[in-house]
Amino acid sequence: MSLAGGRNWRTVAVLLALSLAVIPLSLALGNIRVDYTLVTVAAGGAVLGIVCGVLGSFAVLRQQSLLGDALSHAALPGVALAFLLAGRELGWLLLGAGIASWLGVLLINSLVRRTRLKQDAAMGVVLTAFFALGITLLTYIQSRNDASQAGLDQFIFGQAAAIRRQDVVLISAVGLAAFLVLIALWKEFKLITFDPAFAQANGFPLRLLDVTLSTLIVIAIVLGLQLAGVVLMVGLLIAPAVAARQWTRQLDQMLALAGIFGGLAGAGGAIFSGLQQGLPTGPLIIVVAVAIVALSISLAPERGLLWRAWRQRRDRQRFAAQQVLQDIHRHATQHRDPRYPAPGGMLVALRGTLARPALRQLQREGLLQAGADDDWTLSERGLERAREAARNQLLWERYRQFGEELGLPSVTVDTQQPIDRLLPATALTRLETLD
Amino acid sequence: MNQTPALHIEDLTVAFDSRPALWDVDLVVPEGVLMAVVGPNGAGKTTLVRAALDLIPRAAGSVRIFGESVARARGLTGYVPQRSSVDWDFPTTVQDVVMMGLYGRLGWLRRPGAAERLRTRQALEQIGIADLATRQISQLSGGQQQRTFLARALVQDARVYFMDEPFAAVDAITERAIVTLLQELRARGRTVVVVHHDLQSVPDYFDQVTLLNVEVIASGPTAEVYSEDNLRRTFGGRVAGIARLTEEALP
Amino acid sequence: MAILEALLIDLTLRVTDLQRLNAILGDPQTSALITGALVAFAAALPGTFLLLRKLAMTTDAISHTVLLGIVLAFLLLAALPGLEADLNSPWLILGAALAGVATVLLTGAIQRSGLVKEDAALGLVFPLLFAIAIILISRLTDDVHLDSDAVILGEIGVVWADARSHCLQDCDEVHITPDDPRAETGRRCTNCAELDIGPRDPAAEFEEYCVNCGRYTAAEAWRARLVSRAPTQVFWPRAITSMLLVALLNLAFILLFYKELKLGTFDPALAAALGLRPALLNTALMVLVSITAVAAFDAVGSVLVVAFFIIPPATAWLLSDRLAHILLLAPLGGVLASLTGYEFSRGNLLGIAQMRDLLLLLDKTIGLDGFIEWNTSISAAIVLMMFLFFLLAWVFSPRQGLLLSLLQHRARRQHFAEQLLLGHVHHHQGTAEAASELAQDRLHLHLGWTPRRTQRVLMRLRLRDLVASEDGALQLTARGERSVRRFMALRGAGGASPAGD
Repeated sequence: MSLAGGRNWRTVAVLLALSLAVIPLSLALGNIRVDYTLVTVAAGGAVLGIVCGVLGSFAVLRQQSLLGDALSHAALPGVALAFLLAGRELGWLLLGAGIASWLGVLLINSLVRRTRLKQDAAMGVVLTAFFALGITLLTYIQSRNDASQAGLDQFIFGQAAAIRRQDVVLISAVGLAAFLVLIALWKEFKLITFDPAFAQANGFPLRLLDVTLSTLIVIAIVLGLQLAGVVLMVGLLIAPAVAARQWTRQLDQMLALAGIFGGLAGAGGAIFSGLQQGLPTGPLIIVVAVAIVALSISLAPERGLLWRAWRQRRDRQRFAAQQVLQDIHRHATQHRDPRYPAPGGMLVALRGTLARPALRQLQREGLLQAGADDDWTLSERGLERAREAARNQLLWERYRQFGEELGLPSVTVDTQQPIDRLLPATALTRLETLD
Repeated sequence: MNQTPALHIEDLTVAFDSRPALWDVDLVVPEGVLMAVVGPNGAGKTTLVRAALDLIPRAAGSVRIFGESVARARGLTGYVPQRSSVDWDFPTTVQDVVMMGLYGRLGWLRRPGAAERLRTRQALEQIGIADLATRQISQLSGGQQQRTFLARALVQDARVYFMDEPFAAVDAITERAIVTLLQELRARGRTVVVVHHDLQSVPDYFDQVTLLNVEVIASGPTAEVYSEDNLRRTFGGRVAGIARLTEEALP
Repeated sequence: MAILEALLIDLTLRVTDLQRLNAILGDPQTSALITGALVAFAAALPGTFLLLRKLAMTTDAISHTVLLGIVLAFLLLAALPGLEADLNSPWLILGAALAGVATVLLTGAIQRSGLVKEDAALGLVFPLLFAIAIILISRLTDDVHLDSDAVILGEIGVVWADARSHCLQDCDEVHITPDDPRAETGRRCTNCAELDIGPRDPAAEFEEYCVNCGRYTAAEAWRARLVSRAPTQVFWPRAITSMLLVALLNLAFILLFYKELKLGTFDPALAAALGLRPALLNTALMVLVSITAVAAFDAVGSVLVVAFFIIPPATAWLLSDRLAHILLLAPLGGVLASLTGYEFSRGNLLGIAQMRDLLLLLDKTIGLDGFIEWNTSISAAIVLMMFLFFLLAWVFSPRQGLLLSLLQHRARRQHFAEQLLLGHVHHHQGTAEAASELAQDRLHLHLGWTPRRTQRVLMRLRLRDLVASEDGALQLTARGERSVRRFMALRGAGGASPAGD
């Protein structure tokens, strides 16, 4: 649609390629033999990660990250009960987990609405109580000592190795259905997430959409449980989204990236845990996912910490150079000689430690000439530049003061920008002839 | 007054936990009028707008928009919520937000197409922020955010607009843009109800004013209703310098 | 610790005899009971303040991350020469406290970067730290008795096993020398190994030596039958001591800083203005939470301990508005839940029912394949009891109970509807449009109510002589006027809408 959009889709594509490259690379580095089990486990991990990453984005944007934590814990008794009633069939276990999570949502909501407890306390109560109920049921199941209970433990810390082929098919089917709903209701979900009151005022059934979107989040949590486990599920739900948010300014791109990151974390965690007996998958996935977050927060263009630090430094330097140039110009004007040299010591006293690098930079750009005894003289181009800057500053000041009165077009005042580029020529003449 | 009023509120009471936020409010806004709603904090100004749009339940009373129930008049209403009511770090662009104003009439499953993009473009230009179209919304100034919301309301192409504190904390340029927009809307025969906090500018910007403090203290043409006495009854002793203000501001 | 324990033993022996004390402490049940009650008591105190400061989920995060503190401190101790790595080392507490504070600081730093929202920051930090801890534990399982079950459930049932012995009487060490009459002598072959021959070989040479010489502690001496009287010993579970210490620490902190904590909780700005350093107090609270969590870790694990911090204070808050009452009720409720929860884990549901019978019933109805043994984790059972108390408080609370609010809500709605109708009449009577607004048969249209509801409200008002009708139009009676005025005055006093403008 626009240039900016296009550039960002390129970012998404590059990050996808990088993510895809990581897996064969780590396989080679770790000297891992690719076999049927590994492929199943990695595929399962990747699919689960993608689903959780994409749908988890809404949990993050709705600022309900911790609700994800409460809901994953709340799912445990559902899993255990489903096992008691229907045996170890993944479909039933997921259904049980989903129902229990939903009961958790309802209980949290009614606690917030009907008591003085705030959201955090309500979540804490429901989280621990449901978890304890789940543990109680699990210990009961374990005490029955029948063989089929093997694999229920995986729901606590996650165990990718327990994912079977038919499980991957089921997970993919459920995930696909969730994605179809997401695509069908895309603009509605976007609207209720950004501005629910406006959605309601436009006649959208807010309650219904809210329930649908929450259900999708519950589905993501429930599916992700076997991979990350109830205790750490919240990490898999939100880390990919938080990482994705740093790279993009658009919702669709954010979801795509969250899917990529989630898939990478899911597959990576699953493979690593497959290498070592007794290493639960959940913790590994979380470490991978949070590592991606750390990388994103530091490296992402525009938002990233490194980027911001670098830009700040550059801005400060550029600003200092400009100031020094004008200082020299002013000094020369006072002495009625455009070539009157300014002593370096004076400039340092005026502008501090940044003056020296600024002088060097100006010299490199050919705007200054260094004389003997640390004296600095404006070159022809330097003089021109300094006059230009002075004029720019003057015009901006006039614009700030009188722009509105003169009915000039509105632009953001930024004295570092050349005003000629932002205002039309007619406006400039009016500012210039203002006196 | 045989013409159907744009907004007709009768006996409206809204309560939170059995505490009235609005008490027996009667309000008639004729078509084509710029109406300010003024009152102290906690007077129920926002509640009035939200109840008029059926966003919160009513304890009693009725709201009619051009004689229709609110649900049936959805296509006729436009809404500018308070700027602070949304998270401006949401990953989206200005033109995306503006296009959201068209979602309501697009209906289910349909996506914005060329026609919608054109409308968005026009609204952005009309409100003077076309150069910000692809800007991420978190990079906007307060005034630019407000103008984005106004553009979004503009594409709704409503007959009656509800604006909640559009003038709150905006720069002079934005304030002027809003005033221009209000006048354009009036010229096109649209009705606008604005929750307003700046007592000084009411007579300049608005044809009619409603003074609200849970109950309607007074409502009607600004020249008749906007008196020192009425302001005193609305704000009680809570606004210092009402006398000075009314001396300066009243016609 | 040992001194404190000696003191405690001295104290307890004044009220009971030695045999009974040892029976109590050596009994897994009673020691678990005591520990559970102490955990509940200790956690409820800081938990109350965290709940009121809307930091319940931070508690959750800290309880998870202290595990990393424990593991790292343990690894550090194991790596340092001269220090013995064991899970009871006080250094672990330091590690845990640091981890707790680190969680809060790290979350704050991420949030301040402006790139991640508060809830997401917390949701990233604690899973990460917890995940690292779990990975480290899974690499250490051989050396340390820590496994994922212990992390989640704790081992409150076996706290008795980890006890320190205290000797009270006949505690002398015994030193057996070859001259001692109790020394036993034996013969051994001196050159058998050298010549590779058996002891029966004629070439074998022998010497005499003392078989049981050496130093014996009193207990060892008794076991080896070297002394005639058994030493009088008490086996004091370490968990009880550490929980007691933590409980006392929390209690002391809250007693000392009660007013600062109170002000800092309800009005941090004022507290800061008065120079009370609310941020410092906050950090201190986090440290207390960390210490409590790590002390309770052995007993109830790092996941379920969260319940001990949150649920009892939340329950108390439903029952009372006053901080002092909550601070009394929360630990009390927690202790009560521990006691009944312990019983519950053994199948006794509050003395009302036996789980065995329930399971039997379930087995008959839905079929459990005959597995009717009720066997559950003690800590989970305690948490379930806490939750049960919470639910009971919610339903029956005299202030915000569901039952009460259901009744009150009805009454309030009725009252409100009556006042609304009276207000409507008051508003319109005597005006030009009175005839249309107040016509009885059209009233419901103006109010937007159903005709039935309007009639019901009207009837009640008429019965109480608040309105009367004249020519089909309603009018207030004198009593009605008074009622309207009273209500308006009341409303004017505090009618601000909570929704705000």
